[in-house]
Amino acid sequence: MELRERPSETSSTTSSPPPDPVAVAIRLRPAIRTGVQERFAPSDPPKGWDISKYPKVARVLRSRKFQFAMILPNQIIFWLVIILGLLGTVVPGLNFGTAITWYIWFCLVFVMMVVVGRAWCVMCPFGGFAEWIQRRAFWRRSQRRLGLGRKLPEPIARYGFLISVGSFIVLTWIEEYFNIAGPGNPWATSFMVLGIVASALLFFLVFERRTFCRYFCPLTALIGTVGAMGSVAGYRTKDRELCLSCATKDCMRGGVNGYGCPWYTWPGSADSNLACGLCSECYKGCPEGNIGLFLQKPMTSVVAPTRRRADVAWAVALLWGLVVFQQVNATTLYATIDGWLNKVTGLAYPNPIDYLGTIGLVALGTAGLVKLAQRYLLKEDVAASTTVYQASDLEPSVTAGAQASSSFSRASVVSSIPVYASEASTNLLNPKGSTATSESFITKTSSFRLVFMPLMYGLIPVVGADYFARQLPKFFKHASRIIPDVGNLFGAGGVHSTLYNTRLLSNPGIVAVQVVVIVLGMLASIWATWKIADRELLPISQRPAVTRIVTLALPLLFGIGAAFLYVIMHAAS
Amino acid sequence: MKLLQLQSHHNSTISSDTGTARVSPSGSATDSGAGSVHVTVLSDRCAGCQECVVRCPTGALSMELKSWTAVAQDSLCVGCRQCVRTCPFSAITVDGPVLVAPRVEVSHHVVKELQGNVEETRSGFLNWSDVLAEAQRCLRCPDPTCVRGCPVHNDIPSFIAAVRDGDLDEAHSVLRRTSFLPDVCSRVCDQAVQCEGACTWSLAGGTPVAIGAIERFITDNAAVPPIVQENARGAGISVAVVGSGPAGIGAAFELVRSGAQVTVYEKETELGGLLHNGIPGFTLPRQISHRPWQQLKDAGVRCVEGTTVTSEFVESLRAHYDAVLLAHGAGAALRLPVTGGDLKGVVDATTFLNEALAALTQSKRFPLFDGLEDGRREDGPTVLVLGAGNTAMDVARLARRLGAKAICLDWMDERFAPVRPDELSEARDEGVDIRFRRTLIRLEGDDGRVRFAHIAPTTQARADKLPKVTQGSEAIEAVDLVVMAMGYRIDSSFTGLAPTKPMDRTVPDLVDRQFQASGLLAGGAPAFARHRPVGRLSLAREIGRLGAALGTEDGIYVAGDALIGPSSVVEAMAQGRRAAEAIMSRRAHAVSLAGEVKVATVLIAYDSAGGHTKTLALELAEDLEHHGAVVTAKRLCDIGLREIVAADLFVVGTWVQGYVVAGVGPARSTRGTVAALPNLGATKIATFCSYGVHPRATLRKLRNQLQEHGAHVVAEQAFSSQLNDRSAVAAFSSQLFDMVKPVPRTDDVIALLAKSSQLSSLQNAVEELAHFVNGHEMLLEQSRTRLIEQLALHPDDEGLRRALETIEQTLRALAPSVEV
Repeated sequence: MELRERPSETSSTTSSPPPDPVAVAIRLRPAIRTGVQERFAPSDPPKGWDISKYPKVARVLRSRKFQFAMILPNQIIFWLVIILGLLGTVVPGLNFGTAITWYIWFCLVFVMMVVVGRAWCVMCPFGGFAEWIQRRAFWRRSQRRLGLGRKLPEPIARYGFLISVGSFIVLTWIEEYFNIAGPGNPWATSFMVLGIVASALLFFLVFERRTFCRYFCPLTALIGTVGAMGSVAGYRTKDRELCLSCATKDCMRGGVNGYGCPWYTWPGSADSNLACGLCSECYKGCPEGNIGLFLQKPMTSVVAPTRRRADVAWAVALLWGLVVFQQVNATTLYATIDGWLNKVTGLAYPNPIDYLGTIGLVALGTAGLVKLAQRYLLKEDVAASTTVYQASDLEPSVTAGAQASSSFSRASVVSSIPVYASEASTNLLNPKGSTATSESFITKTSSFRLVFMPLMYGLIPVVGADYFARQLPKFFKHASRIIPDVGNLFGAGGVHSTLYNTRLLSNPGIVAVQVVVIVLGMLASIWATWKIADRELLPISQRPAVTRIVTLALPLLFGIGAAFLYVIMHAAS
Repeated sequence: MKLLQLQSHHNSTISSDTGTARVSPSGSATDSGAGSVHVTVLSDRCAGCQECVVRCPTGALSMELKSWTAVAQDSLCVGCRQCVRTCPFSAITVDGPVLVAPRVEVSHHVVKELQGNVEETRSGFLNWSDVLAEAQRCLRCPDPTCVRGCPVHNDIPSFIAAVRDGDLDEAHSVLRRTSFLPDVCSRVCDQAVQCEGACTWSLAGGTPVAIGAIERFITDNAAVPPIVQENARGAGISVAVVGSGPAGIGAAFELVRSGAQVTVYEKETELGGLLHNGIPGFTLPRQISHRPWQQLKDAGVRCVEGTTVTSEFVESLRAHYDAVLLAHGAGAALRLPVTGGDLKGVVDATTFLNEALAALTQSKRFPLFDGLEDGRREDGPTVLVLGAGNTAMDVARLARRLGAKAICLDWMDERFAPVRPDELSEARDEGVDIRFRRTLIRLEGDDGRVRFAHIAPTTQARADKLPKVTQGSEAIEAVDLVVMAMGYRIDSSFTGLAPTKPMDRTVPDLVDRQFQASGLLAGGAPAFARHRPVGRLSLAREIGRLGAALGTEDGIYVAGDALIGPSSVVEAMAQGRRAAEAIMSRRAHAVSLAGEVKVATVLIAYDSAGGHTKTLALELAEDLEHHGAVVTAKRLCDIGLREIVAADLFVVGTWVQGYVVAGVGPARSTRGTVAALPNLGATKIATFCSYGVHPRATLRKLRNQLQEHGAHVVAEQAFSSQLNDRSAVAAFSSQLFDMVKPVPRTDDVIALLAKSSQLSSLQNAVEELAHFVNGHEMLLEQSRTRLIEQLALHPDDEGLRRALETIEQTLRALAPSVEV
């Protein structure tokens, strides 16, 4: 027996009670289902890949303490980082706080991104800490929140993940300026972490849900895009039809046992793992048990989504610019230019002009290349088109009380008053097709975007590989220091201990690993762009063969460029 | 938005309700000025869930396939902002005015000659053009929030649509589906915090459709049909209703139109309760307040007037009727404990209203002014009314009609007072001196009769803060009569009998999924609703309505003010109807007159950690379904009062949490959810648990906790998760089914035979009967005897002959050795 308020038939049988009177008055329009199956088929994970089908996994996910247990260890570590940074030894390599942050954690985050997706987000102590305060609960489902609960205004929110790219660029500049990640003086790391915690808390108290994590966190764009390679699809619907006909959407609004999705993702329409924080709230909240935690083939969220988001595409271009800057800044050429600029402007490294200049130049250069290719490749008659579906009938779907459905002809006969109609009603009388469009930064379409957006998705693996390779030297040179650093906390171990000075790899070895990582990323990108071109570019291209070449050339160019820069960097150092 | 004027309405063939809200009788003027509406869908956050699309009244929202986001057509939007309220991710914004024609207001007339005047002061729409213009403002929302705002859930969009069609009889029949008192409610309801406050226009900051006035137009102009029996759900049930107020009326109507036998006990000599002796004729004319009981009596409701019902009497009623509904109201008037409160000339509102109404309508002498000093009675004595709520207004306005001066005192600030604004302004128009932020300190007498009132000012900063009395600036007012009209509370003499303590209507810390989805709760506190949270108020009323369905095990139900304390006519009626529903569904015979066999419904709610309890719950559900029950199995945290009320048996499953040495009990989450449940009344509850080592006192602890909520635990069972004993589950399910299975009686067998002899083949009839009497085979012999007796009286009746044949075949099939 389903107790749902639906249009229900007025029962005339004598034994069953009449339906709930509210239900009789509800005449929801039918949900639009046209093309749903085809729209989501490419990105839907295989049916059997739902790991919540294992009772042990289900038990963990259903527990309200699941995320708390994930956050707690990291919470302890990062408060330790803050305290040790302020009170511990000033030797960066010997301070446990700086060592674990920059030698181990940053590398691990990348591994988690590539393998899982937003694995870090489910255990992140910064958002986690602020969320505890916002919810006034560690794990309980409370109905009273703390803070203003504002919604992020549309004019800002429309830029989606680009806001995060902006904050990442700012944070990286600060990090370079104060030499935090070097690592430099441990207090700098402390203050950076404290700054992140404080800003997270501020945003959590002003805005609703995880607005900070979704829009402002410096890492969210990077984790989201690179995480698209991951093999966890996130929480998805088991039966989309059930989601479409669900009248209450507890997964989004919050139910008795789960909060509404903190990340603004609906399992019923998720087509990538981009904005699934893996927090399991929807899984807990769904009264139908219609949500599962699905695995997917690696790279699915890069290749398969039907919707290409402009913010993600530009985020990839800008993140590429940022990582290229971090490579270029080790070259002598850059040092010369930066030195000259600093002398002229009176600023210090990293000079904002060449810092932003490099990022902008690389991102816009990439876009320029695509623009050139688009002019040459695209069919002339390809216009950006959108398909809009109207709720099939304008008359609400009356099932109960059909006699109550009104017709206005009779009213106008009875009525003696003059009737005025608006544009709206005249439009209805002469339907010329829908004029509804959505024109915002993310959704608007153009010939350039038709090529740019899929290609940028295809480049995600090589950009991700470059970021990962960039973190490797610190790991291979200093990871073993973590042991003497722990010892140092208890008065043992120091800069002279063997482990402190052990390297896992020599410099040439590191470069070799870096090049291998880049090549792997490049191959993944080549595969991804090939698949994407198949589905999205070849059908609209006038020169298929050349399109193939161009789509292959881009990842090759990126990969070879990045690998070359690592070799140069090594030579420079 | 430019509003185009069509030259002649005959040219317009508007065939859909869409866009009609913009239809304006006065040209381009709209509710909040002209201008264009712009809808912005935040495509970054829009998840394409279509909550807005399915609810948009005008069809302005559609879906874009590739991005799977909603898109809006500004030209169709009227700015009602239902999308904004229902979007789960706040991904939609609407800028611009609310595009609706100005509300057509009903005129009020000021009564010129007050003394002795009992004419109705308010009027409804007087002509079709006004009511049609107002009806055109209704958007006919697919998910109408006004219906949730209405305590009795009238299908408001449908009756307004019928008015637009010019079909008042249809409109009246729509109202009649849910309400027996539309003529009363349209006059006395505070629509601003009910349907009109919850109207989508009100939630959007505009002026709502005048639902109350349209309802009144329908009842003023449509013929009220007599009560006819519409179904046989109540056939054979006898119910005693204590009290003839709105709750009793609602219950009696619902029961009598379903064929039940209803007897009403009223302590006064006139029926109607509050309608008769609580609301003056200038608000509710006598012919309106008498109409319900005239009709109910005509329909066969037996009325016993002038009988005070004591708790002993309720016991005896219980023995004679299938159910007893206590709808005696909240009759104990609150009294302010002040010095001088016991002086002569200090009375409560009930006394004053009774005497004043008798004096005005039956030309009786008004005794309360007796004993006044010479001249004061003639000059117009001063009546001091304590309180400035709706009852206080009635008292003061009646005092004015008796030729007295009236002063109302209320210690609240006018901004936060719960009085209807129209009531307040009418009272002021009639010369009532209403003083807010004033309180009575003490009364001073002369010769034992009240003479002076000491009044002090108060301050109140916020609605949720109690006012503070300012010391040292008292004023003295000469008074002749003091009426305490601060409110009522439930009379305590019945509380021992009631299934529950008076219900707490505060919205618990649980979400109501349907209310949440409708966007009503997100509507906040609209200005039209006097800045009161109309959504939460509606939800609280809904909880009260569901609570009326919970009676005691032995069939005592409570509804109306007796259940929730002083409320409103419409709420009391809604609860009376709901209680009647519950009485009929619980007490329905195993076979209805139409021959349908009652199906037992079971709700299984489980808390499961490792999956054992869930498996048990599902196995139980399967077994019970196999027996023939309708079963829902859900997680405990996913169920609410709505589900519990609908079930004949509520099964709670939990697991054993804790360590054997340190003490074990039901899972903490189970205890938490049970603690959040409201009083469970007559609900039959069975419990079970799964355990690893030993359940110890788990089930006892759960039982104790459930009993604290008034529940009646009928069975409990612990299952070992190691043994995995399927047969134990089967035995438990059989035990449970026996408890909810309708107990067949000879009448039921005869009813079933009557039906099957008309419809099915002999073989089918035999099978059906055998299944039905399973476990009660002796009924067959008794039924056979009765059939033979009847056949002797009607030897030519083919149906009886066929029934007898069926029963004999069945007897043979069940016990072949028996010689029939």
